[in-house]
Amino acid sequence: MMNSPNFPILSVITYLPLLGILVICLINSKRHDLIRWVAFLTAAVTFLVSLPLYFRFDAGTWEMQFVENIPWISQYGISYHMGVDGISLLLVLLTTFLSALAILSTWSAVDKGVKGYMISLLFLETGMVGVFCALDFVLFYVFWEVMLIPMYFIIGIWGGPRRIYAAVKFFIYTMSGSVLMLVAILVLFFTHYHATGIMTFDILTYHRFGLPANMQFWLFLAFFLAFAIKVPMFPFHTWLPDAHVEAPTAGSVILAGVLLKMGTYGFLRFGLPIFPQASVDFIPVILILSVIGIIYGAMVSLVQDDIKKLVAYSSVSHLGYCMLGMFALNLEGVKGSILQMINHGLSTGALFMIVGMLYERRHTRLISEYGGVMKVMPVFATLFLLVAFSSMGVPGLNGFIGELLILIGAFKASLGYGLLATIGLVLGAVYLLWMYKRVMYGRITKEENKNLRDMTGREYAYLVPIIVFIVWIGVYPKPFLDKMDVSVQHLLEVMGQQRTVMLDVPEHSELRATHAMNNYEQYAADQGR
Amino acid sequence: MASCWIENSTLLTAIVGTWAPFVTFVLIMLFTRHRPKTSAGLSLASATVSLASALVLLGGHWNLQRPLEYTGRWLVSGDIYIPFGYLLDPVSLLMLTVVAIIGFLVQFYSLGYMAGDPGFSRYFALMSLFLWSMMCLTISPTLFQLYIFWELVGLSSYFLIGFWYEKFSAGQAGKKAFVMTRLGDVAMFLGVLLILLHLGNLNILEIDSPKIVGLMPPEMLTLAALLIFGGIIGKSAQFPLLTWLPDAMQGPSPVSALLHSSTMVAAGVYLFERLFPFFLFSSTATTVGLAIGTISMLLASTMAMVSRDIKQIWAYSTISQLGFMLMGLDAGGLFAGAFHLTTHAAFKALLFLCAGVFIHQYGTNDIYDLAAKGTRRMRVPMLCTIIGAGALAGLPPLSGFFSKEVILAKLAGLPNPIWLVAALLGVFLTAYYAFRPIFIMLFPPSLPAANASNAAPEGTRHRLLYRIMVGPLVILAGATVALGFLQTPLRNFLAGQYTGLTTAGGAHLGWLPYVTSLLATGGVALTWWEFGRPGARQTGFVDGIPVIARFFAERWYLDRLYRAILDHAVDRGISAVLAQNDTRVIDGSIDGISRGTVLAGRLAALINAGMIQYRLLMIFAATVLLSLYFFF
Repeated sequence: MMNSPNFPILSVITYLPLLGILVICLINSKRHDLIRWVAFLTAAVTFLVSLPLYFRFDAGTWEMQFVENIPWISQYGISYHMGVDGISLLLVLLTTFLSALAILSTWSAVDKGVKGYMISLLFLETGMVGVFCALDFVLFYVFWEVMLIPMYFIIGIWGGPRRIYAAVKFFIYTMSGSVLMLVAILVLFFTHYHATGIMTFDILTYHRFGLPANMQFWLFLAFFLAFAIKVPMFPFHTWLPDAHVEAPTAGSVILAGVLLKMGTYGFLRFGLPIFPQASVDFIPVILILSVIGIIYGAMVSLVQDDIKKLVAYSSVSHLGYCMLGMFALNLEGVKGSILQMINHGLSTGALFMIVGMLYERRHTRLISEYGGVMKVMPVFATLFLLVAFSSMGVPGLNGFIGELLILIGAFKASLGYGLLATIGLVLGAVYLLWMYKRVMYGRITKEENKNLRDMTGREYAYLVPIIVFIVWIGVYPKPFLDKMDVSVQHLLEVMGQQRTVMLDVPEHSELRATHAMNNYEQYAADQGR
Repeated sequence: MASCWIENSTLLTAIVGTWAPFVTFVLIMLFTRHRPKTSAGLSLASATVSLASALVLLGGHWNLQRPLEYTGRWLVSGDIYIPFGYLLDPVSLLMLTVVAIIGFLVQFYSLGYMAGDPGFSRYFALMSLFLWSMMCLTISPTLFQLYIFWELVGLSSYFLIGFWYEKFSAGQAGKKAFVMTRLGDVAMFLGVLLILLHLGNLNILEIDSPKIVGLMPPEMLTLAALLIFGGIIGKSAQFPLLTWLPDAMQGPSPVSALLHSSTMVAAGVYLFERLFPFFLFSSTATTVGLAIGTISMLLASTMAMVSRDIKQIWAYSTISQLGFMLMGLDAGGLFAGAFHLTTHAAFKALLFLCAGVFIHQYGTNDIYDLAAKGTRRMRVPMLCTIIGAGALAGLPPLSGFFSKEVILAKLAGLPNPIWLVAALLGVFLTAYYAFRPIFIMLFPPSLPAANASNAAPEGTRHRLLYRIMVGPLVILAGATVALGFLQTPLRNFLAGQYTGLTTAGGAHLGWLPYVTSLLATGGVALTWWEFGRPGARQTGFVDGIPVIARFFAERWYLDRLYRAILDHAVDRGISAVLAQNDTRVIDGSIDGISRGTVLAGRLAALINAGMIQYRLLMIFAATVLLSLYFFF
């Protein structure tokens, strides 16, 4: 049945979690373990169902695949239009993958209101998958808002001591961005209607709709704010540390792993193709903000005494790389950016899980409360280090490939930004190793740390799969990069048709760089013979 | 096809030799962590395989005419390929052999040194990891592969420095080493990307070919060369990134012998050899390199003159000797650098392994303590230390003398005599600091009674461990003596490298060897006068001027400077300001706006609260305002 071309696989993936919610609703709320198992199994099945997406995805075309297009509110041209291409494919898979593991990661740590908690997590999954699949503005916006509510509850109810502040902050920030986006969507809709007489909210239609340049500017600005808050780009990032620190582990994992990617995904799906001219005009602003974000996030990480806050700020730095690569607007940069989204989801997700493991044992996240933990938790120490190295981009692990592509892209676009961005590479090593040293090395000074347990079976179950991918992408990234190749190329071509100037680089140096890359490809092809 | 088969057998040897340690690493980590004996056996077996294959490769290609290169594609994605493979030419074959031999000897030695350590298996796993990455680095055909393994040896170094993780200072030192080398690595990475953008690939042979001059504008070439030199500065602990190496001595002594003296830190120098023609294309880069090498050599020498820690003395001397190699290379002497690298690898590994025997026996690094506890009674290690120090000092007829001679001849050929003068000063200082620990340990003021602390360790097990450790010492001591006489065959072997490259030949000054020997002997004599002669006060002439002695001992305050920059400028400066900016400025204004909104809402609610007084007041005010508006 699933192999038939008309099988609505995307809808199934999107709504399977709702089925799980239905089942959970029927369970007595005192039966915590049963609820947990149902939630986990639902998410696990969702992941398994989403796997065929990867195998049946045709990497040879940029067209949307697994498309479902049903009229929904036809008098306004709203339709239920879902589909994935090479840009969203990996993000959908990342979402289903991390959702299952995230449920596993906060198993016993949440013991009050387990039912509501698991319902929120599953509901969140529906929203997230929907956002990455939706190809209709209204549908997209519905999923976008749907996803906000469970996250608000997850932080606000099951969070730490300052959870209300963090939840409200998260909500207001995101909400103010998305309201602007809604206005922009409506303006876009009416402009299109006046120009062509056709009412449609179909996103793909707008990819081909050439907006006047001055209009592009204002609409892009509105979208930019919505997505920049989500990414988050400097200076819209301050909701992030608060939300992360207060959220329970699963919340942090999902927040860092998937929710932040909605901002970057938004730029790829809306910003670049619908407003190509404005995107190019905005390049300097975005590159500067990205580089500031890279250095700023790393610098602030350096002085955190709370492990989770440190990891949260490192996200600001890493997402800066994603934006830098994306707005290099060349193949390497954009592909690196997408891969780095996945990498960040894996590495930072794993880091939050690791912080969660420490927290579950000691109920503190202060670096100074630890020290010498390696002695009692050797396996944990090894995996922790591996994840930390992945996050700082050591060769052989996933972070390196992403950063390499991004930096090649950034270099081709602009030498200066590329140079500045590398400062983050050094700082990344500094803050992570500094934290690792304080937590893991030395003698155990605190009595409470003397009898910490090493990894439990459940912890292996959710950390090891991530590590498998961390190593896999690091050693052999081809299966992941190949899927996005054609789609990214197409995106750049569509943009290129309307693009006149490219960055502030003189024409000839750009040409020379391209020329050199062609040589390289030729050379590489020769080598293979 | 016969040639194909021959090439394949070479390929097979190279693959097996370089990847055997990696297999061992994986096996130990996954399966034999709790079985130390099996782990050590596996590790030693793979080291033997590596050694054998390195020797086979070296022997089979002794008369190599042109570089052998094999590349396969490592696919990143559709159109981006990264070639991986092997480049066998005299430079890499020589380095490969050095790494394999010392790697094997050190692992054998470690059987004794690390016996009974709770992390025995982990130690051998990490050593294998290092050996694998170092050998793959050595035979890289592309700069990209080299960079990847360059980072991986840095990683192994991080693990091994912090091997005794319960020692907080060890973790500290590991982090410091990783971060400082990373600083250089990032520069190198940028340089590599620059080359990629201009040349279109990172093939080392192409980078070394003259066509690069046509593809890269001179200023870009200089920039790339300088950036890559930044990586060398980090890895080879040159000025100004030199302070991580003495701290790296926190690791076990065999680690210091293998990684932090003979091979890993020499990778920087090796990279220079690898890109030798490329660096020579830029005269600015070689001049900067010459200056950095000279500064590092002299700086480290002065630090070694006042240190009391035996491993730190040898660590400083490593920095100094690496600087010396870079001077030779920058002066245009490929053979000079490569030859000194080889002899240095032998005698420096020897010195560290000897120091390891002393430390293992007496549990202290302090040379005065060691002397007082009776190191002079451990005859073989003491004799080996003297041989190693002699080679380090450049005393004829030990190998160090010959290799230094080659470098000095190259420097003498430079138009500016200052480099030669600096190098000769270096020779004198080296002889002085190399023999300072020797005389201190040979002639302690008082010795404990012979039977109180027996030189030969007691018990059969202890004796066995001692013998295991002494074995490699004897071999290395032999190599230290013999290598000097292999100068001509090695020179012929390396002559095949970069043929057609014309560099200024060194001056053949007949007086140079005599001056050098005289300076070296003078240095030793001065040390003897101060530390060795009967009734010597055992304080150096530097100690007479406390200000300078302190200055040297504090590493020219470089560490303090970096610490201060990190603490005050970064931690308490920029980072603190940025963190404050987050909470005060950004959050402050956002919270302010929201508070303002709430306040405005309250106010509006108040107006509409339905209290009759306010209504009346509002009506009154409105009437007044309206009448004002209408009547005036």
